[in-house]
Amino acid sequence: MTPRLLNASTVNSRQRSTVGNSTIGRSRMDFATLGRAPLRLGMGSRRITSRDLEIVEATEELLLSEVPEPEGVTSNVSLLRGFNATIPSAEQSRTRRKQMRSVDAPHLGLKKLGMNARGMLVDDDDGHSVTSEDDVVMVPRADTIRKTKRRKGRESLSASKILGKEELSRQKKEILRDKENISVRRSLINGEIAEITDKIQALDNIRNQLEQNLLKLHEDELELDDELVGVRERLEFEQESSRTPKKSSQPLHLLQSSRRRKGPAFLPSEHDELPPGVAFMTLESHETSITALDFSEPYGTLVSASQDDAQPIVWDLFSGTEIGRLRGHTGPVKCLQVEDHVCLSGSEDGTVRLWDLRRVESDDTDEWGDEGEIVSLSDITEESESGDEPLPRLNGIRKGKKPLELRNDPCTRVLEGHTKVVTALYFEDDCLVTGASDKTLRQWDLTTGQCVMTMDILWAMSHSSTSVPGSVTNGLFSGAAASIGTFVVPTPPFSDGSWEMYEDFVGGVQFWGYGLVSGSGDGAVRMWDMRTGQAHRTLLGHTGPVTSIQFDEIHIASGSLDKSIRIWDLRTGGVFETLKYDHAVTALQFDTRKLVAAAGENGIKVYNRTSMQQSTLSTNGHTHPVQRLRYMDRYLVSGGRDSTVKIWSL
Amino acid sequence: MSTDLPYAADAEVSLSYDELEVLKLQYEKELAQVHVTVQTKFNYAWGLVKSPMRDHQVEGVRLLQDLYRAEPTRRRECLYYLALGHYKMGNFEEARRFNGLLLEKEPTNMQALSLAQLIEKGVAREGYIGMALVGGAAAVGTILLAGLIRRATRK
Repeated sequence: MTPRLLNASTVNSRQRSTVGNSTIGRSRMDFATLGRAPLRLGMGSRRITSRDLEIVEATEELLLSEVPEPEGVTSNVSLLRGFNATIPSAEQSRTRRKQMRSVDAPHLGLKKLGMNARGMLVDDDDGHSVTSEDDVVMVPRADTIRKTKRRKGRESLSASKILGKEELSRQKKEILRDKENISVRRSLINGEIAEITDKIQALDNIRNQLEQNLLKLHEDELELDDELVGVRERLEFEQESSRTPKKSSQPLHLLQSSRRRKGPAFLPSEHDELPPGVAFMTLESHETSITALDFSEPYGTLVSASQDDAQPIVWDLFSGTEIGRLRGHTGPVKCLQVEDHVCLSGSEDGTVRLWDLRRVESDDTDEWGDEGEIVSLSDITEESESGDEPLPRLNGIRKGKKPLELRNDPCTRVLEGHTKVVTALYFEDDCLVTGASDKTLRQWDLTTGQCVMTMDILWAMSHSSTSVPGSVTNGLFSGAAASIGTFVVPTPPFSDGSWEMYEDFVGGVQFWGYGLVSGSGDGAVRMWDMRTGQAHRTLLGHTGPVTSIQFDEIHIASGSLDKSIRIWDLRTGGVFETLKYDHAVTALQFDTRKLVAAAGENGIKVYNRTSMQQSTLSTNGHTHPVQRLRYMDRYLVSGGRDSTVKIWSL
Repeated sequence: MSTDLPYAADAEVSLSYDELEVLKLQYEKELAQVHVTVQTKFNYAWGLVKSPMRDHQVEGVRLLQDLYRAEPTRRRECLYYLALGHYKMGNFEEARRFNGLLLEKEPTNMQALSLAQLIEKGVAREGYIGMALVGGAAAVGTILLAGLIRRATRK
């Protein structure tokens, strides 16, 4: 009976400690250990509190944690050293010495004073000194000496006492020890300070991190807002189209408003896996600097044009292969816009051509194969769009187009009217606005191919300058000079030192409803009313030709050769923000969250409008300055002076 | 540093009430200021471990454990103090394990070696007392048994 009880108690009381104790414990299960068990049992009177259990339980965890080599203060000053240096009794000897010296002075309670000074004693007032009585060595006074010295009047008290050699040497030792204690305490405090500095640093980092997270949240929120607006628009559009399913003879233009302006792009899920800010595809067929590019949608169709090349290349962005070329222009193409399968290009030959990208075929491959691919792609990405619509549209194109020699010629219309290089164009639905170096803007009806209106920038310049006195401060371009010859300005050197003659008088146009905005070579951003053809406001500020503009509901962004981008308030016409760059800005695009710009450098500039931070995309990027760019959602295409086109994930 | 540890005997010398009170006040003051310095915490913990009162010892060991958790660079030292604390409380098993870990790191540590001996002694003493108790119980048992048997046989 006894042995069983004994075993049971062993298990009960020492269960915890034996669990992880196999290494040491097992070997120790000897006679003595066995013997302890009944003692434990017998010592049941000893109170085992929850704290006892707590600390015993913690043993395992503590033993498992790593024990690093001590370093820094910890290796210099041990805890015990610190203890001895900081406990109150460390002050004892000092107190004692002082007591000894101040014989005549009343007892000041030095220890207490010292304690108070260090904030250690708060309310203890019994004046009880820790110093034990036998520590104080009383040395008899030498009265005779004292008397003789007294005559000199005021003097230090200490000189009036004789302490004896033994005592003095003892005091010396004590003082040395105290000094050592002081240095120990000093290094302790220094250690603490260093540690706190580290902690503050760490906390600061965490704080920064959190602030960034907050910004990120803000950005995400904006993104969601945008997406919501896009989806709402889409919903409206789909309801609309379901209500009127058969509109008679759809022209080749899209019903939906430009996706460039709004809404989420439908990116394949693989796109999310791409590292952001990296160019993941390079298209290298061009031989000269890229002058224009645009694409239908992420992983859709890209059209890109380069200098001295009258035939823009059509690419399949999904595979990164060339589909074919747009043949027809007799001069290099300066501007492009692609919406779905519709492409418009403006060229140095003064014409604008309308292309149906579905009919683009490569020289050697079977056309239907390529076409099928494009169509299927667009079907995938814009589900509802497909269905029965492509056919009527196709018919519309055929109806509308002139009888051309080739049945499958992708060029469906040629718009003639400009007398000089067409440098900028923008279309939405059936309405097209072009800007050319003949210093006019023209509005076209794409269904008929007729020029609806011509807006003369020269006229606007001469008239606005009178209405706004002192506006022609930019001596860049006086009215007279403008009216005569051609517009030619050398660009400021790009980051690689190269430069060129800039001849595009109209850098950019965009319209919405009846509101039209143009950016031109005189450095002015003009707002036109397309009903009257009058410029009703001119935004002055740029000191170089405007190369690119874009606007949304609130802001106009304009990039200029004066190495800056200005963001204007659409309503007040004031400058909302000015972004300075090191080189001329050649292209830009923005949304509510970011502004992406080609600023004469190899890297693409991305300005986060929420956090106001600039970043540069250069990983696997261009080897010469970026010239043109376009993005949708997180899909960016850029063309550079290194004659390559790069596709980026943002 | 390895030599800069108190011998176990030091742990038996308790601080005066006032001294402990000062340490406690300092600790509590810093606790109220949120930042407790390592030294203050240790001072209080060590003062508590030195105390003859078991509640104090437990609290001291708990503080030492806190230190051990929070200050990796002080862990090696704390190992010893934890061992000492447990030893003083009579938790020889824990004491032995902490001390064992320290001896693993520093096999020549004099204080740790001596503490190890003390722990063994303590264990043995407890064992002997226990054996004595068992022996006593056994003796009483046999006497009773013998009495019973005798009574049985007498019948």
